[in-house]
Amino acid sequence: MSDLGWLEVVLRAVAVLAGFLVLPLLVGQTEHKVMAHMQGRLGPMYAGGFHGWAQLVADGVKFVQKEDVVPARADRWAFRLAPGVALVPCLIALALIPLSPNVVGAKVDASVLLVLAVIGVGIIGTLMAGWASANKYSLLGAMRAAAQLVSYELPMVLVVASVALAAGTLSLIGITQAWTPWWLLWQLPGAVVFFVAGLAELQRTPFDMPVADSEIVFGPYTEYTGLRFAFFLLAEYAGIVVMSLLFAVLFLGGWSGPWSGTLGWLWTLLKALVVAVVVIWFRVSWPRLREDQLQRLAWVWLVPIALLQLAVTAVGVVMMR
Amino acid sequence: MAVDLPMPRVGPVSEHAPRPIKVVLNWGRRYSLWVFNFGLACCAIEFIATSMGSHDFIRLGVIPFAPGPRQADLMVVSGTVTDKMAPAIRRLYDQMPEPKYVISFGACSNSGGPYWDSYSVTKGVDQIIPVDVYVPGCPPRPEALLHGIIRLQEKIADESLSSSRLRRKYAAHRTPSAAELSRPLLFTPGHEPVGEERP
Amino acid sequence: MTEATTSARELTVGVGAGGLATADMVLNIGPQHPATHGVLRLRIVVDGERIVSAEPIIGYMHRGAEKLFEVRDYRQIIVLANRHDWLSAFANELGVVLAVEDMLGMEVPQRAVWARTLLAELNRVLNHLMFLGSYPLELGAITPVFYAFREREELQAVMEEASGGRMHYMFNRVGGLKEDLPAGWLGRVTEAVAAVRRRLPDLERLLVGNEILEARTRGVGVLSRDLALGHGVSGPIARASGVDVDLRRDTPYLGYGELFGPGGPGRVVTLEAGDCLARLEVLLEQTRVSLDLADACVDRLAGLPQGPINVKLPKVLKVPEGQIYCATENPLGFNGYYLVSRGDKTPWRLKLRSASFNNVSVLAEMLPGQLIADMVAILGSMFFVVGDIDK
Repeated sequence: MSDLGWLEVVLRAVAVLAGFLVLPLLVGQTEHKVMAHMQGRLGPMYAGGFHGWAQLVADGVKFVQKEDVVPARADRWAFRLAPGVALVPCLIALALIPLSPNVVGAKVDASVLLVLAVIGVGIIGTLMAGWASANKYSLLGAMRAAAQLVSYELPMVLVVASVALAAGTLSLIGITQAWTPWWLLWQLPGAVVFFVAGLAELQRTPFDMPVADSEIVFGPYTEYTGLRFAFFLLAEYAGIVVMSLLFAVLFLGGWSGPWSGTLGWLWTLLKALVVAVVVIWFRVSWPRLREDQLQRLAWVWLVPIALLQLAVTAVGVVMMR
Repeated sequence: MAVDLPMPRVGPVSEHAPRPIKVVLNWGRRYSLWVFNFGLACCAIEFIATSMGSHDFIRLGVIPFAPGPRQADLMVVSGTVTDKMAPAIRRLYDQMPEPKYVISFGACSNSGGPYWDSYSVTKGVDQIIPVDVYVPGCPPRPEALLHGIIRLQEKIADESLSSSRLRRKYAAHRTPSAAELSRPLLFTPGHEPVGEERP
Repeated sequence: MTEATTSARELTVGVGAGGLATADMVLNIGPQHPATHGVLRLRIVVDGERIVSAEPIIGYMHRGAEKLFEVRDYRQIIVLANRHDWLSAFANELGVVLAVEDMLGMEVPQRAVWARTLLAELNRVLNHLMFLGSYPLELGAITPVFYAFREREELQAVMEEASGGRMHYMFNRVGGLKEDLPAGWLGRVTEAVAAVRRRLPDLERLLVGNEILEARTRGVGVLSRDLALGHGVSGPIARASGVDVDLRRDTPYLGYGELFGPGGPGRVVTLEAGDCLARLEVLLEQTRVSLDLADACVDRLAGLPQGPINVKLPKVLKVPEGQIYCATENPLGFNGYYLVSRGDKTPWRLKLRSASFNNVSVLAEMLPGQLIADMVAILGSMFFVVGDIDK
């Protein structure tokens, strides 16, 4: 890293930041539109003219102007800090995920490990928000988020370990370079587990119990207004971006495809977009599970499948040697 | 439980922005109206109908996903406001962050409507909160709400926001404060709270 | 909306399970909460997420309709009567005019009887569609409500063509209907009913065909038959608990005697399970039955000769002294009017027995022991309209 010029560091940082601001908005707009058309509506049409493309820009402009309310009984520091804690891990994770061997924010050797560690931190922001708001609904939401954390982290780490084992490396770039189409079958159970656990991590339907707007009124975020609320929203959608990219890189071969030498980054983004649309699709079509049902799902299905996947991978690796 | 609320103020950006920037800011507010549906009665059903496929106010940037008052920009009071409900409406209005707008949807929330001579109905929600747009009808058709929203958007586009203007708005429109309206919502007979004089 | 009122009970155990000190928390659900669609308020005491006790607090929508009835004449009463349960406006007006007609001993033209039956059934479908859409919303599924409203718009358009109203039809008059049905309207009804029937499976697949929805509702919030009877629960909720009662069949009014008679398309849907899923299934099946009934009414109407649709009323309508209780099967349950007249042009008293009031009273018994997430599922499956509770 020492031979990197400071200019390159700045450029990379700016590029990651730009991606961090643009990609979640793209996912958000896709959600607006995909959801609308699945429901026989049109979605936003007027903001910005053409099919409401600027809806989320307008949202952003509006959130900036809103009054910043901190409840009187809130734990001020934790309350103000929480959106940042939720947001920054996504930014770091985004910097670590390669779009192609050359298009990556920061090349780190054990990037899989670092990404998993970092996105686990994001949940702390939710917990802080829930605790600091001094609101009972928020507290309930934070408790649900904490309970949820226990259930999905383990299977997720297990299946990622399986992929790393198959590739023989802990570097995301290395894993994708080792990927062959045969993995689609070989790592299929792992991919399913990763996707489900990822949904739970993102707190998306059907695992959106911590925010459950019809039960506990957006849980930890109930008391947030304006920009801070927007940060949480951004964190949610950045989370989708990170998860989708990670899924594309780990299980779908990232940049492998025709002309992967030059257009590899586009392939990764396209594959991630497909995953993101599936995430949106789930939200449109499914109700929400209950917290204990998620726990059951995690311990009765996800963990055993992940362990099985680990064993299958190990056998495969030994056989091929 | 009387609460002293801080004076309303707008966010830092819109306070000091020069005129051209304010056009952009107004545009943002205009097309991002996260709506908090205060669904009280019949009109709430027509409000929902307006958010559905055939009328779809999301086209106009009215997003009905605001879970609570804290995230909302627009409150649509749809239905009969009763005296028992009034403190709750006022409190939720106070919880909304500035800048905020109110549409009074339907005859009941405009003036009491068919319940004009009822002993328990507030004769118009404008007695407790300032209203920007009134939509007449009992219940109004979804098209009427769409029209009301467009009128509100036109109003927002012409606005010039600042904290002092905001305070003038509340000063000009004499509405009871949250403290005046808040009262114990329920008590067991014989256990009425003592010493709490209602203004 | 939260007040810090805590520590109703404290529990401290030294070692082992339950070693944490816990305190119960009082949670106010409502009066404005997404799950109460309307302004029902529940004061629940929770231990973690487990509900210890629950108390429905009503009256936030009390508009004093019964008192206002006493200063409205019999034509004006209809305005207020169809607004207490805003999802079944037509059925509400029906009860009033049936009571008044009965007191007057008035003979209603055949065409009016069948047109009323038809509109009442269409109204029932509208009501059920609303709940079929809003219930999944409570459970976090956002799409079914869009499907449901597509069908609602279809039927509302038909209702509007006849009556001029989308929700509050104001189409009933003492002695018949406001005016005759438009020419060619029956064909439009047949089309709309067929369209709704054709697309209903789309909605159904999102509901009972969904594993998650089933997991959330099966065995949840079981309402026993005895409890239902004890609280006077009626309508689809009671029928889901195995209470086989339906006023359309048991005390026939309008054309229901024929429709529910032998060979008629009418049947009473009952299930035994009494859980949230059963209530939803009853609603779905009733929607189908009502569509069949509507078709039968259209056939019957088409076969009737032309004739008057209402009775010419005197300028001042006075109801003779006396009293009557007239109950109809509203979409949500029994809707009864107890009318006492002293021979004036306004009633001396018009007492309203509304379905939702009784249906919701059972919540205090059902909720303790449930999780907050299940509370939302149960609340939604009680299919109440707040105006119908508070009047």
